[in-house]
Order: sequence, then C-alpha cells, then structure tokens
Amino acid sequence: MLFAQILVNGVLLGGLYGLMALGMALVWGVLNIVNLAHGALIMLGGYAVYFLFTGAGIDPFAALPIAMAGMFCVGYLLQRFLLNLIVRSALLNTLLITFGLDVVLTYLAQLAFSADFRTINPSYAGANFTLGGITVPLARLAAFAVALLLAGLVWLLLNRTRLGRAIRATAQNLVAARLYGVDPRQLYAITFGIGAALAGAAGGLYGVVAQITPYIGTSLTAKSFVIAIIGGLDNPLSVVLGGLVIGIAESAGSLYLGPTFTDVISFGLLVLILVARPARSLRTA
Amino acid sequence: MLRWAAIAAVALLLALLPLYGDAVTIQYGINALLVAVLAQAWNILGGFTGYASFGNSTFYGLGTYGTAIAMAQFGLPFWTGLLLGAALAMLCALLVGIPILRLRGPYFAIATLGLSAALSALVANLDIAGRNIGLILPLTRNDTLFYEASLALLAAATLAVAWLSASRFGMGLIAIREDEDAAAVMGVNTTLYKVVALVLSALFTAVAGGIHAYWITFIDPASAFDSTLNVRMVIMTVFGGPGTVLGPVVGAFILSAIYEALASSISTAAALFFGIVIVLAVIFMPRGLVDLGWGFRRMGPRYLLETVRQYRL
Repeated sequence: MLFAQILVNGVLLGGLYGLMALGMALVWGVLNIVNLAHGALIMLGGYAVYFLFTGAGIDPFAALPIAMAGMFCVGYLLQRFLLNLIVRSALLNTLLITFGLDVVLTYLAQLAFSADFRTINPSYAGANFTLGGITVPLARLAAFAVALLLAGLVWLLLNRTRLGRAIRATAQNLVAARLYGVDPRQLYAITFGIGAALAGAAGGLYGVVAQITPYIGTSLTAKSFVIAIIGGLDNPLSVVLGGLVIGIAESAGSLYLGPTFTDVISFGLLVLILVARPARSLRTA
Repeated sequence: MLRWAAIAAVALLLALLPLYGDAVTIQYGINALLVAVLAQAWNILGGFTGYASFGNSTFYGLGTYGTAIAMAQFGLPFWTGLLLGAALAMLCALLVGIPILRLRGPYFAIATLGLSAALSALVANLDIAGRNIGLILPLTRNDTLFYEASLALLAAATLAVAWLSASRFGMGLIAIREDEDAAAVMGVNTTLYKVVALVLSALFTAVAGGIHAYWITFIDPASAFDSTLNVRMVIMTVFGGPGTVLGPVVGAFILSAIYEALASSISTAAALFFGIVIVLAVIFMPRGLVDLGWGFRRMGPRYLLETVRQYRL
C-alpha cells in the first residue's frame, strides 16, 4: 500500500515535471539552444498566475491560458530580438547568453516581487480523496491532468498542423525548410514562444503544488534538462514519460534514502543513462 | 618582446602588491587571483578541446576537502594537505574522465554537473568530512602568504597554458575542438589527450580550492561544491577568450573588478548588471575579449557589426 502511494505521488509529480521539460525539449530540438533560462521562465509563469489569482481573483486553472499567452509574447520577443542574433554561433555561447538571461530574470523578479515565498492557495488546495487506501490530492491530480492535456496538444500541434510541419522541417534541415518558404526568424521566435508558454503553464501549476521564489529557476532548469535528455527531444509524449520516470524515482528515493538525495537520484540516473547509452542520446541531438 | 616585457612588469607589480596595498586590496587580490586560476584551469579543457565542463567545481571541492581533512582531522601541515587534495582531484578526474569524456556537447556538460551534485551529497554524509556542518581549519592570519601563493599558482597555470598553446599536445587538443573525428583519423589519441587535459585542469582547480579553504578556514559542502563557482569559471574564460593564454586571466580580473565594485553598493543590482554584461558580451564578442582586441586593431568598430552579422539568423 505504501508503495502504491509512492507510485501515485511520483506519477502526479512526474506529469508536472514532464510539462516543465516539454518547452525545453522543444526549443532544444528545433533551435538547438539549451535554454538555461527555462527555469526562470517557469518562475515568471508562476508569478503571473499568482498575481492573477491574488490580484484579480481569477482561479489559477482559469488563469493558466492568460499566463501562457503572456509568456508566449515574452518568449517570442526574446527570441526575435535577442537570441536570433546569436543562434548560429557555438553551443557554449547560447548556453552563456541564456545563463545571462537567467540571472537577469531572476534578479528582476527579486526586485519586482521580493524574495518572499509565495503559494497559490485556492480554496480547494488542501482537498483530497481516498481511493482504495491511497490518498490523492485534488490540486495535484488537476495539475497532472492539465500537464497531460498540454502535452497532447503539443503533439497535435507538431504532427497535425501546418505550423507543426514547418517546425519539424526546420528542426531537420534549416536550409531545406527555408527553400520551401519557411521564414526561420519568425518560426524560431514562435517556437521559443511556445516553449515559454509551456514553461508559464508549468510555473502556474508548480505554484499550486509548491512554493515560488525568484530562485527556483536554476534547479528547475537542471531537472528539465535531465528529463529532456531521458525522454528524447523529438516526441512530446516521451518527454512526459521521462518526467514520470524522474517523478517516481524521486518520490521512491526520498522515502527509502532520505529527501536530501532527490537531486542525486535524478542526476545519478542521468549520468548512468548517458554513459550506458550515449549513442542513442547523441543521435537525437 | 615588448609584450613579454609588459607581462613581466605587470606580474612584478602584482607580486609586490603586499608592499604597497592595504589589507582590503590584498584580500580582494587573493579572491581575484584564485578565480583567475579557476578560469585558466577551466580553459585547459574547455577552451582548448571545447568540452564545456560544469564539473570543475567537483575538483575544487575535492581540493578543499582534501586540504581540510588533512589539516583538521589529522593535523598535517598545509602543503601536505594541498598535495592530498590535488591527488584526490586528479584521481577523480582520471577515473570519471574515461567514461564521461566519451560524451559530447551538452551531454558531457550535464554529466559533469551531475557528478558535482553527487559528490556534494556524498561528502555531506561522510563523518570524516564533517557531514553537513563542515570543517574548521587551523587559523593563520597571513594574507601576504596566501596572496603570493595564489599569484604563484596563477603564474604556474598560465605558463602551463602558454606551453600548451605552443606544444604538439596543445595542437592535438585544438584539433579535437575543431573536429574530433578528423583528429582521431590524423592519429591523435583523443581519449588520452582529453583525459590528460582534464587531469591537468583538476590539478590547478584543486590547489586553488585548497588555498582558499586554508585562507577562509571554514568549509561546508554547499560552498565547496558550489556550482555557481563553476559557472563563473566558464563566464570569465569565455568573456576573456577561450583557448587563449591570457584571455581567461584578463576576463577574470575585469569581471571580478566589476562585480566587487558593484557588490559593495547593492548586491541585487550587481547580480543584475552581471547578467546584462554576459548577455551583451555574448552578442558583441562571441569569441572573447582577446578576439575583440585583434578585430578592433584590424577593422575598428566595424568588428562589432561583422560579428553580429556572422552569427545572427
């Protein structure tokens, strides 16, 4: 029974992790940018939902689309007018510039929102139900459902629409896509915008199940990175699967080894996977 | 010739600093010198082979803990502690380098990051390393000694890199950066070269960690395996010019100076400004300060436009 509870906790957490990694995997796979500011975008999304809830009284789940639209604009502008300037240079440079962005966003958030811990706390935050002896917190279940829904939507977008076809084509071969009439500047900006919107949604959900501070970005970036690699970069559904793996491993590990080990578990898993199957990871890059 | 004379003059000026500088300047100098050593050590692997290590803070942590354990737990002298720390770090670099250096690009970067996180947790659970609480080293109030030791270490690291950039070994490393498969075909033993570069990098990083530990006299897992320190090594090297001899040192000095000047007033503004400097530096000088210097001499301010044009979409 204890194990089943851990499994449920891990799966619910893992769905959210998967959503966090989804935007990063999309940007990485298409633009070849490892976006170290991804966690900061998640943090900004969290604050957006927090202020929509506390300021305007909008239910956090209803506020998600608004936050996503706002974050899409932020991401679009960042890529269109900043990252596009450097996108063709070495990987180290894109790593560095997104790290710089991460610092800027983090400390802007600290100046604007202060370093206080914030939690998005709707009336149903503590509600849960018991099913066959397993406790399921409602808010986490809803967050999990939204994460799955969004992953499904991204899959549909990529595989069933004209825009998705253009994104996939650009990921495979930029020059060929250009010859077929894709405007890469526009497309890169849209893709980054979608990544930021997904980060925003993940941030809003994170704020419902955990606490937001300006500094959560770095560890969420690292986690997203790990999951993106485990899940692979080409299929949004496998990214969510990667999130589930990490979620279950962490919740089991924190019980059997102690909560200080959660980061070690995800990174340990990552190193093992990388060393054991480097060829696969390299091909998808 | 003139260049070498200038460098020698600057080195002499730095070496004599304890004679004319006040206590605060010397302490600032120790920090700046040690950070410059870290940047230069990172440059050996990251700048020359293009393998971006985010695990150099592992070697830094092993250097600090090696020194601290030797001095605090066994009462050994400082130099023995330094040696122990360096040996630990080099052994670790050798053992993990062989499997991890097979990975390329971001996969290598993240694997090294994971290594550092794992070792930090390991140390936090070891009795001999003082667990989460950390260790206190014997107190020595002799900033001049620490300053000169740091300067000597920086000189050694820079000379090592100067030798690298002119040697067959260094050429092999650069060949790996430009095209690893081609280098292998040309007869470069890529695995051996990369592992040796990592071990060399670990040596200087660990000694810097050991000196810092004895100077600060207190260490704990969070500060010893601090991953932001690793990020600073990368930024300073890339800012100055990766794969060059003096670039990392110049980058480290300039960025430390900016950071210290701002940090004394408002720390949030300092961090914010640091981020903005990084963003602008990447856009306008993606190949570093040294390349900017060459470019300006060749074509003046047009260099900035040309680099942006080269890398934009």
